[in-house]
Amino acid sequence: MKKIRIMKKICVALIVLSALTSIGMLFAQAPAPAAAAAPAAGSPPPASAPITDAELKGAVVPTDRSNGDPSGALTGTATDITASDAAKGVTLKDVLDQIGANRIGVNFGWTLLCGFLIMFMQAGFAVVETGLCRAKNANHTMMMNFMVYGVGMLAYWLIGFPIQMGGVGAVANLGGIGVLNAETTVHLFGKDFGIFGNVGYFLVHRGSYDVAVMVVFLFQMVFMDTTTTIVTGTCAERWKYAAFMISTMFLGAFIYPIFANWAWGGGWLATLGANFGLGHGYSDFAGSGVVHSVGGITALAVGMIIGPRLGKYTRTGKPNAIPGHDITWVLCGCFILAFGWFGFNPGSTLALSGAGGLRAASVAVNTMLAGMTGSFGAVLYMWMRYGKPDASMGGNGFLAGLVAITAPCGFVNPVSSAIIGLVAGVLVCISVEFIDRVLKVDDPVGAISVHGANGLWGVIAVGLFADGKSNYGGSWNGVAGGVTGLFYGDAGQLVAQLLGVATLLGFVFVLAFVANLFVDWFVGQRVSAKTELQGLDIPEMGALCYPDFVLKPESLSSPTGD
Amino acid sequence: MIFVGIVITLLGFVISVSSLGMTETTGGRMAMVLAGIAVSLTGIFGFINAKYLKNANWRK
Repeated sequence: MKKIRIMKKICVALIVLSALTSIGMLFAQAPAPAAAAAPAAGSPPPASAPITDAELKGAVVPTDRSNGDPSGALTGTATDITASDAAKGVTLKDVLDQIGANRIGVNFGWTLLCGFLIMFMQAGFAVVETGLCRAKNANHTMMMNFMVYGVGMLAYWLIGFPIQMGGVGAVANLGGIGVLNAETTVHLFGKDFGIFGNVGYFLVHRGSYDVAVMVVFLFQMVFMDTTTTIVTGTCAERWKYAAFMISTMFLGAFIYPIFANWAWGGGWLATLGANFGLGHGYSDFAGSGVVHSVGGITALAVGMIIGPRLGKYTRTGKPNAIPGHDITWVLCGCFILAFGWFGFNPGSTLALSGAGGLRAASVAVNTMLAGMTGSFGAVLYMWMRYGKPDASMGGNGFLAGLVAITAPCGFVNPVSSAIIGLVAGVLVCISVEFIDRVLKVDDPVGAISVHGANGLWGVIAVGLFADGKSNYGGSWNGVAGGVTGLFYGDAGQLVAQLLGVATLLGFVFVLAFVANLFVDWFVGQRVSAKTELQGLDIPEMGALCYPDFVLKPESLSSPTGD
Repeated sequence: MIFVGIVITLLGFVISVSSLGMTETTGGRMAMVLAGIAVSLTGIFGFINAKYLKNANWRK
């Protein structure tokens, strides 16, 4: 009781401190005098004479680098501009071509590098999930996380990518020429509803063998893989390996790409603003809905079909805690994921040069802040409710904050980011309790709560907190201006976001559920009780992850070993 | 019961999308979308999950 009283005092102190800080910021943000803001209206712009080819030739003066260039001042100068015709020398067109190539090169490099960071998140997911499972299933859990990369990628390369991005058109920041230009639509309520794309099969179909398309594919592929790896956490410790492979194929080929097309590929959700005046249409900057909710909702569907682990519930339905075997892996994995998230969110600008690319800095800071407040929210909640700052829920709160800020990170300010993360940290704890105790869906890693519930919260948060200050090339989803939520004056944006939530719950869930019912009928989703009690490593994978460990024996009468 | 649950969940989605054609006011659309979400949640939790809970392995 004394500890709880101390915790309550700490919380009150934090709330007071937050309130004082917020008041201070409101005063600090008072508008500056307008006089110094802009040059007087009507004054002519500064004169600039056009550059001629002759002047350019004069600017290219070879420098003496015989003694090297220790300061770096002689490297990367006008002499590095390549002339397309040596006889003519450097022309204005050569210089402009070089500027264009530099801009697109910077954006290619940024997007590819962020894609590589996201790919590394697979390692984070693998160790978080394995750490939260028992040692007897470690090989099986790791192997699901390992093969999800290959199986998901194959499905996405063959079918998923064209469905998702086949009608997206040109991506200006990547210099594309718009070869992904065929979106299948249906006509409804007097408007065209984009349903799926159909260019880009095998990345050679109809001109898709194109460098810009390759960048888009790599970046989108690693997003899709993140979705598929969410399901393996919920179904860990009892999922038949063959069922996992087929289910992942469905997710990578159809379920994810269809919703991703509607949100990011020019589909009907993205055009709700242009067609129906609902703000800027469904806006999901980096995928709280597209990536995390699709994964979490699919996990809920498969989790219902597959049922709880043996020993998870007593005969009266009371849940037993089945602790994971390695909290070190869990928390290290959370840090790996947070590192990868700097690819996920800031990389979604698809640019550092032009069209809002510099806002990547703001996106990165928003991401950091929400992760921080998410872990605070979860740790404080658990401390107050159960008397201990639970480690695994601390990690889940961290991830929940990151998941929730993924959609709004490009549209909100840092204070809103901190609030969104804090709510996510508390929400994940409440959601885990609800799913565990009320729904009785066994989720060993809390993936449904972290990704499903908080993904939906992130989607809604855009409709509440988007401040209208973002500017990615003057418009978003074909609507001029920045995305603006309810708290900044646009209720229509919230309706667009809620339509996204309705689609995730009403359509994506059904699609995932029916596909996995088929998998259940085809190969069976669940291993036998004998295999589950023994641990899946030997029966399913043929080898133990930790052959030198002495594993706790289990029987049907005490499946958790208690 | 599972089939009924699937139909109800999908019905929630249809109600939400129908808001685009049935009304032009933001408030009206929001009300319909929220109603659609509630219907979908009823389908998922009230029908599909309830069916699986009835035959759950821990009851045996």
